[in-house]
Amino acid sequence: MDPAAPVPGPEAKAEVAGTPAPPALSPPARAPRYGALGRSGAFAGGGRSGLVWYVFVGPAFLLLLLFVGYPTFETFRQSLYEQVGTRQKFAGLTQYTQLVHGGDLWHALWNTALLGFAYLVIVIPLAVVLASLLNKVRHGSAPLKVIYFLPQLTSSVAVAIIFNYVFEPDWGLLNGTLHRFHITSTPLWLADPRLGFTGSRAAVTVLAVWAGLGYFMLIVLAGLQSIPVDLYEAAAMDGANPILIWRAITLPSLRPTFVFLIVTGAFDAMSRFGDLWTLGGPGGSPAGSLQSIVVFLFQTGFESGNMNRAAAVAVILFCLMLFVTFASFKTVLASEFGGRRRAR
Amino acid sequence: MSAVGWIRRSRRRTSFVSQLAIVGVLSIGALVMLLPFAWMIGTSLSRQADIAMPRLPRLWPPDPSFFNYSVALQNLPLVRYYTNSLIVVGASTAGYLLFSALTGYAFAKGRFRGRQILFVAFLMTLIIPFETRMIPLYLLMKDIHLNDSLPALIVPFLVGGFGTFLMRQYISTIPDDLIQAARVDGASEFLIFFRIVLPLCMPALAALAVLNILWRWNDVLWPLLVISDPNKYTVTLGLAFEGHSQGTYTGVALATATIAIVPVLIVFVILQRRIISGITMGGVKG
Repeated sequence: MDPAAPVPGPEAKAEVAGTPAPPALSPPARAPRYGALGRSGAFAGGGRSGLVWYVFVGPAFLLLLLFVGYPTFETFRQSLYEQVGTRQKFAGLTQYTQLVHGGDLWHALWNTALLGFAYLVIVIPLAVVLASLLNKVRHGSAPLKVIYFLPQLTSSVAVAIIFNYVFEPDWGLLNGTLHRFHITSTPLWLADPRLGFTGSRAAVTVLAVWAGLGYFMLIVLAGLQSIPVDLYEAAAMDGANPILIWRAITLPSLRPTFVFLIVTGAFDAMSRFGDLWTLGGPGGSPAGSLQSIVVFLFQTGFESGNMNRAAAVAVILFCLMLFVTFASFKTVLASEFGGRRRAR
Repeated sequence: MSAVGWIRRSRRRTSFVSQLAIVGVLSIGALVMLLPFAWMIGTSLSRQADIAMPRLPRLWPPDPSFFNYSVALQNLPLVRYYTNSLIVVGASTAGYLLFSALTGYAFAKGRFRGRQILFVAFLMTLIIPFETRMIPLYLLMKDIHLNDSLPALIVPFLVGGFGTFLMRQYISTIPDDLIQAARVDGASEFLIFFRIVLPLCMPALAALAVLNILWRWNDVLWPLLVISDPNKYTVTLGLAFEGHSQGTYTGVALATATIAIVPVLIVFVILQRRIISGITMGGVKG
């Protein structure tokens, strides 16, 4: 789009028609001054028609309609159909009822919730402890920060490839280190589908904590540094001990940080795919123990080829995420307006 | 002498021992974080690792050589994967930044009919997870004959509600007077956008670029759906497919992983200040 091209507005039309515009609408002095630069453009911010703004927004909006709006609508529509022979036939809620009555959806949802819960319960306290320590370091905290953050910059696929070897039962880094300490009965890790502290779910939780810790630490650190120093100095002058200070000042001040981390962590857990797919494939092997909801969605649509069933899974996932969004909004709003206001 | 000053001084006095303890604990943690990387690189340099892995892990092989790397580069078109990834990440990030800035400017400083409702429409896309729309998106790519091509990895990600929102928030802080003055001087909105607004937005654009590069580089779900031709694999997709197929040759497999991971890590370490501030600013995971 040529920036200098005049954008046709009501006035331009009047001129094309050959009738000079009345002075009140278009003072004659203005036309020669702005001439080629485009009048409506020059004054669009000031309350004129402002058609130039549609050039700014229009292409992006069309892309959004095509690649976000249309597919989202289609997901909902396709979830109400079924494939009969070569054509699509309206099926009402059949896909949903079959999903709800089958066990696979529940298995995937249970796995997703379990893995997400275990991950957050470990990573958040660990990040708070390490970030509190990092916050106290006076010199040389930058390299430490980078090291903790490194796995975060590695793709989930690459992390999974590394940990596939770390958890190798015979010679992997973890079991090999245990051998070094003369522990002979080492766990099978990724090859063991059972629920427990030495099975495949525990292994992928360790992997996720290793990969995500740096991000959580970074956010907690930012939260810690936003607590005003005077609060601590006032408490120290009143003779409060460090544990009391931590409980009475640090933890309450970090509340918004915790809400943020739990919400983003929950979203991450719900859309977890790359590492689980790399380690367990579409079936979430061993024995489906690594099948999250997105892996199940992928398996339904692209391995079993049932796009309509997969669309129904996608709608269910969407509703769950929407629920988390609204629940977190409510929590955030309640903490902002319900309780006492926090110094930030 | 003030009480606050006394607290600060007493803190300094007790600090040396506690500093040592704190840095010690954090360093042990940092070693644990680095160990998998170090072990991967060490094993990738070992020819013995392809025959039998030592039962006790070692960080440095007895027979260091780059043999596994030459095998890895012969087995897989890793250079090709890197080229594809760079094209996809570069093109999609350039487009994403341009469209985010254009729409952000319009929503922050423009006055036009439907501004509110259009902005809400952009924001609404934030609550639609990609997994929800990927199946029809895949079918759409097939219909417009873009599947199995690099543009399929680029065009769906040119516009996003997050970029528009971030840029609108940032551009709102630019004083109106600056823009108004340019308008009075006769500058068109496009001239103002490219000459005044964009240069002022560099910190926000850098943050957005960091996030988008991480998202696109690390994405595997979408490439997995639309790409089947091995010549079009990105680094991440190639690693996901081929990381296992070298499985019996552990040394070669880990050399492949090292080639896929380490150059990217080096770039990120060089840019770490930018990246860390970008991620904190966006408040969004990479």
